[in-house]
Amino acid sequence: MQRLTLAIILALAAPLAFAQTIKIAVLGPMAFVQGENHWAGAEMARDEINKAGGINVGGKRRQVELVRADTNEIQSVPDATNAIERVITRDKVDFLIGGFRSEAVLAMQEVAMDYKKIFLGCGAADAKLGENVEKNYDRYKYWFRVTPTKAPDLFRTLMAVLGEIGQQVRTSTKTETPKIAIVAEKAVWTEPIVKGLQATLPKMKMEVIGTWQPSAVATDVTAELSAIERAGADIVFTLLSGPVGISLGRQMGERGMKAVAFGINVEGQKDEFWQASAGKANYVSTLDTFSEVEMTPKTIPFVRAFKQRYGKAPTYNAATYDAIMILKTAIEKTGSMDADKLVPVIEKLEHVGAAGTDTWDKRHDLVWAIGKTTGIAVQWQDGKKVPFWPPQVKGMQPYKMPAR
Amino acid sequence: MLQDILVTGLVNGGVYALLAIGFSLIFGVARIVNIAHTAFYMLAAYCFYTLLTRFNVGFTLAGVMAVAAVTLLSLLCYRLVIEPVREHESAVLIATIALGLIFQELMLYSYGGHFLGVPSTIDGVVRVLGVSIPYQRLLILVVAAIMLLATWMFLYHTRIGLAIRATANDLEVANLMGMNVHRVAMVTVGFSVGLAAIAGVVATPVTSVHPHMWLDPLVTMLAIVVLGGLGSLKGSVLGALIIAYVEAITVFTLPEGAHLKGVAALGIMVAVLLARPEGLFGVAFEEER
Amino acid sequence: MYLLRRAWSEIRNEVLVLPSRTLVLLWAAGLLLLPLVYDDAYVLRILTMTCLFAIFAASWDLLAGYTGQVNFGHALFFGAGAYGSALASLKLGVSPWFTVWLGAALAALFGYLSGFLCLRLRGSYLSLATLAFPLIGLGLLFAFPDFSGGELGVSGLQRMITGPTANYYVACVSMLVVVFGLWALADSRFGIVLHAIRDDEVAARASGINTPRYKLAVFTLSAAAAGFSGALLAHYLRVAGPSTLEVALSFQVVIWGIFGGVATIYGPVVAVFILYPLTEWLGSFKQFGELRLLIFAVIVLLVLLFMPRGLTPWVRDKMETQCPRCKQRNSFFKKICRLCGAPLQSKVTRAERLVGHQ
Repeated sequence: MQRLTLAIILALAAPLAFAQTIKIAVLGPMAFVQGENHWAGAEMARDEINKAGGINVGGKRRQVELVRADTNEIQSVPDATNAIERVITRDKVDFLIGGFRSEAVLAMQEVAMDYKKIFLGCGAADAKLGENVEKNYDRYKYWFRVTPTKAPDLFRTLMAVLGEIGQQVRTSTKTETPKIAIVAEKAVWTEPIVKGLQATLPKMKMEVIGTWQPSAVATDVTAELSAIERAGADIVFTLLSGPVGISLGRQMGERGMKAVAFGINVEGQKDEFWQASAGKANYVSTLDTFSEVEMTPKTIPFVRAFKQRYGKAPTYNAATYDAIMILKTAIEKTGSMDADKLVPVIEKLEHVGAAGTDTWDKRHDLVWAIGKTTGIAVQWQDGKKVPFWPPQVKGMQPYKMPAR
Repeated sequence: MLQDILVTGLVNGGVYALLAIGFSLIFGVARIVNIAHTAFYMLAAYCFYTLLTRFNVGFTLAGVMAVAAVTLLSLLCYRLVIEPVREHESAVLIATIALGLIFQELMLYSYGGHFLGVPSTIDGVVRVLGVSIPYQRLLILVVAAIMLLATWMFLYHTRIGLAIRATANDLEVANLMGMNVHRVAMVTVGFSVGLAAIAGVVATPVTSVHPHMWLDPLVTMLAIVVLGGLGSLKGSVLGALIIAYVEAITVFTLPEGAHLKGVAALGIMVAVLLARPEGLFGVAFEEER
Repeated sequence: MYLLRRAWSEIRNEVLVLPSRTLVLLWAAGLLLLPLVYDDAYVLRILTMTCLFAIFAASWDLLAGYTGQVNFGHALFFGAGAYGSALASLKLGVSPWFTVWLGAALAALFGYLSGFLCLRLRGSYLSLATLAFPLIGLGLLFAFPDFSGGELGVSGLQRMITGPTANYYVACVSMLVVVFGLWALADSRFGIVLHAIRDDEVAARASGINTPRYKLAVFTLSAAAAGFSGALLAHYLRVAGPSTLEVALSFQVVIWGIFGGVATIYGPVVAVFILYPLTEWLGSFKQFGELRLLIFAVIVLLVLLFMPRGLTPWVRDKMETQCPRCKQRNSFFKKICRLCGAPLQSKVTRAERLVGHQ
């Protein structure tokens, strides 16, 4: 009843309204933290744009309107495809942003490309999404990935960070060849990184003493940690995206292990990590995206405003803010909302966003560049998430090793 | 490595045993496959977490309150939802699945999909046979052992325990003998869920609390009771230890196959079922009229 | 011309005499004619998914309702069909029209294996053992990511046919054919044997029925149908992932089956057609869209409390009564039986209705 009344009012008021709006659908698992961040970042962008008067489309100013679409992709892939079809055909949105679970985003990408709508990905890292663009450009050209860099590029970032802190590790462990235990969840995204590590680490004078591959949802890694402790590891190189990251951090702390956890730990990027690991996951470090450092002039204002409005720090999914800003720039440059006209403009864009400075390659993936698209590395120190890499960016603090 | 396996298997087996006994008991007595059993485990965990972190209640008090609240809730659910459809076995099945889903969604709605951590009751580790075991895990083991003992005493040394065993053996004759079968069923449900709730309270400091945490233990628990034999307590305990050890061995001997520990456990269950369809200690039911 | 008149007389004498059969006819006609009047791509998508899941649910009912082997891992066959068709079409480069049959065949193989493993199991043991099968399947999928794509699954599949309406018709026609086929099978002598096996396997064996063969046949057939729907879904979404093997999906089909009414074939189909669009519609509301699984579970629970045998038997009992003499069903508004002329009581007492219930 409420919806009907609202619809009638809107229908009557529409001709009287100032102009049509630009509808952008935010697709994400809204009951989970990823979707919450998708929506929050988008809201920040919408409010900022609308307060400044909207987007200039060829002379006419239009306001941005967000459509919230709960894809429930973590629990059901068909729900995600239903949601995206609904926002395209029912709500008649102009642009799509968001996505998180790669399996679901692959299916959603198909729907978006069927309708030739621009879809900016803000969460799925699978390389296949970009490969599709390269293999069949005419169909998939409407897809761009705003965050994160594709999974294989994460390896390069990890090596760059390891290079920076390597000397500190050697000094602290008092050995020239620190022992590294790889703990990578059994998943497709870790496979190329694991192979890369096993090949490259020995060349960096670091010894790989073993590779353990628990399940992403494992809540108990005692077995793995016992074996790692027995082997005398100095560093536990983590490639974890699921709750196993929390278990690892916590159990390492509880056992009082001398080794330090480093790598990718997606749960470690969230503010709740400290509480979830019962305050035990000290010195755990991971790659991350947002912090109060000056990656670009926009980063610190964005992170501060986000914290003030939502009470917690943004995760990488909040790059929906950048996605909307990219759309704004492209629309204002071409003066039109036609997807075919916008695509070549975005391809050549160099966008200074809150997460970094983005440019795209021919797969419409982010071009990997330290200080621009690689994000940052953070370490948990006594309950605070402290950024420490890249060291030349303003606001970075030193990496700490536990006292031995 | 052998000591690691021994200790890890024992500790995990304890938690599994707590869950499996309760489930087995409910099935044996009331012939109810309670899919929501681990969902009560999850509710107890959330209750414990809330009391500890939001209301700052002490550990023991929070634990007792959580167990009591969940047990009462289970009795209420039994009265309102399960008892009216007792006769239709398939309806009971869905009722319990639906209950589990409702609890999951309520927790998802109230707490979000985040992974929450419960602080350990006791901090610190102890080294036993060259293996470092956190005190919390020892606590789990001790509590599991105590509760097993309590269950044994309850079932074999009290009158109501006798009634429960009799009802499990033959429902109709027990009814004829004058036992109030409904009351016996309720007591069983309360006791079993109480065990699950205790498991929830002691085990959560070593795992994360989240709305889907009831699904993994559910599968493991089902594997255990099927392996041990539905309705048999000895079977549940033994099954729990077997499954826990299979998992521990898989993880220790195949580090790169650690994610296969669930598959290995299930594989063992299927293998045993092929050889002995009633499970290790199960009783082959007569065709029930 | 003769055929037309024959068809018309069949319809008038067999179908229109009973409200339930008339409804089925209207429903089938409505489904087939819908795109001509209402072309919305979103609605067609929802209905396409509904049709595919209806095949899935009906196949479960054949297994669970008719032979009493309540399968808690039916998603294994669904996933096997999806992955089979996906891998075949990608690796062999063959058209999906051909590979869906390959997918169904692979699922049938899994069905045969599962049935074989479950031959000696009864009741709850069988249910819980079948729960394990898709989980083992999932574990194996994750263990060989190069082959199966791990957690991402197999993507980039070809559509069978392009266009929302065309896909809708593929799904709709498949569903009507498969569901009616399964129902016809269940209503035949084969179905009577299945009923006998469920009610009293010992007596059935004593009567000389080779029960293992029938049980295996049902497992295989049910799996083939489920795999068929899985393959169709994979090609519709263009992705076949581990979500097709999830425990949640197995539970979902059990809920649909029992909610709609076991041992009917059409019961689960009705359940899917009611529940799936309902949950989707609920999900589109911003305010409580996130609660839709909760609302779904509550609805299921409430319905069960009032209609423990399922929805369709309850509805049918309201619409039709059973003749006390010839045991055939008649519309509720008839005063005498259409076949034997015996007077029908307008209010049949509960005890009488239970006797000779089918």
